[in-house]
Amino acid sequence: MDAQTFNARVATPTTRLVGAMAIVSLAWVVIGGLFITPKDVDQGDAVRIMYVHVPTAWVAYLAFIVTAVASACWLLSRKHSMGFDRVAGASAEVGVVFMAMTLLSGSLWGRITWGTYWAWDPRLTTTSFLLVTYIGYLAVRGLGGSLEQRARRSAVIALLAVLEIPLVHFSVLMWRSLHQKASVLSGDGDIKMDGSMLTTLLVGVIGFTMTFAWLVLHRQRVLAMQDAMQMTQLDAALRERADESKGLK
Amino acid sequence: MDHLGFIAVVYGTTFAVIIALVVRTLSQGRDLASKVADKDKPWT
Amino acid sequence: MDLTPRTSEVNAPLAPRKRNTKWGYIALLVVIVVAGGTIVTKFLTSAIDYYCNVDEIGSRVGCEPGRRIRVQGTVEKGSLKSINNSTNFVMMFNDKTIQVVYEGDPGGIFQECIPVVAQGRLVGDVFEATRIEVKHSNAYVADNTDRLTKAEAQVCSPQAG
Repeated sequence: MDAQTFNARVATPTTRLVGAMAIVSLAWVVIGGLFITPKDVDQGDAVRIMYVHVPTAWVAYLAFIVTAVASACWLLSRKHSMGFDRVAGASAEVGVVFMAMTLLSGSLWGRITWGTYWAWDPRLTTTSFLLVTYIGYLAVRGLGGSLEQRARRSAVIALLAVLEIPLVHFSVLMWRSLHQKASVLSGDGDIKMDGSMLTTLLVGVIGFTMTFAWLVLHRQRVLAMQDAMQMTQLDAALRERADESKGLK
Repeated sequence: MDHLGFIAVVYGTTFAVIIALVVRTLSQGRDLASKVADKDKPWT
Repeated sequence: MDLTPRTSEVNAPLAPRKRNTKWGYIALLVVIVVAGGTIVTKFLTSAIDYYCNVDEIGSRVGCEPGRRIRVQGTVEKGSLKSINNSTNFVMMFNDKTIQVVYEGDPGGIFQECIPVVAQGRLVGDVFEATRIEVKHSNAYVADNTDRLTKAEAQVCSPQAG
């Protein structure tokens, strides 16, 4: 099977468009973030880490919210469509990767600015706890059982785990924290950021969101094919046993 | 550029991980698409 | 009835892996529970040291002199001195000040007029810090603007950002 046939089976015009938008946006982030935007008056060049750190954090939040919404849809829908469960699983997988990248970039940024890689600060602690929670969610998904069992138990966990997100986001307001408060979503309408920095950051948010969308669309298709293979194998096993019981084999 | 090493690690790791995820997803998709019937692929 | 898929040519790679994979996920869950517990314990242990503003030392419960605490404030302009291997500076918050001494270089973007968090103990009139972290603000100002803007950005805020 050649590459073109493969694309026809897995990629669609929508995913290609999303992928192209992601590539263009991320190219802008790299060029703008590294070479065009100015240094920060206090942080110097270290501010360039923000163009990656903030969008990956945003995508991780978004991914876990999508997981919760898809899980709720699975639980509430009459047909219990497995498509919802697969979107939930795919989104959580991508979210975990982006959350880990957020912690890595934040740790390196912290070493430059705070003077330490890590502190048991409310934002850092709640974020690492969120990451561990969703790794646990993925582990529960892998425990086996029927597709419906997997969907039901993981949906319940997803709906509980998403409650951690407000705790993470507002931790810098609820406790005294080393981590700075929000610059854009500060709630007072005052964006404390230079224009070109803000533009690059917003393009980064768009680019990483497009990347997330592409990954989830493709990943849930992979999961759909894995589930289909599992069902095919189960059907084959059932037929085989039925034939055995009839003395055909 | 100050702190070039740190910035390079952040950008390098982030985009390397994204590229690895994309490649893995495409590769898994290609592998499975050859084994799963089209009727089980609603996007086709 | 045992419905475990037989190891035919098509499903051979998947069938025997399934059981091992399940135990792998169970082991992962155990690691996750331990990791979660460690994170919470570390956070709570760290929280034993009260987080006080400079003006709260001696006036807020948990911020008593002599007790190990974390103090936040801004490094006063013109107060930063390096004597031998120690860093000396005045930290301020809401017009209250405190003399801080730290053995070594705090690192990060530590400088005058920047908010910091010092962890240590007030001994007499001097706060002896064992750890200093820079608490940069949530404002991002371009460094290539004219001198007036830069000078304005350098004005010390009386409060940590």
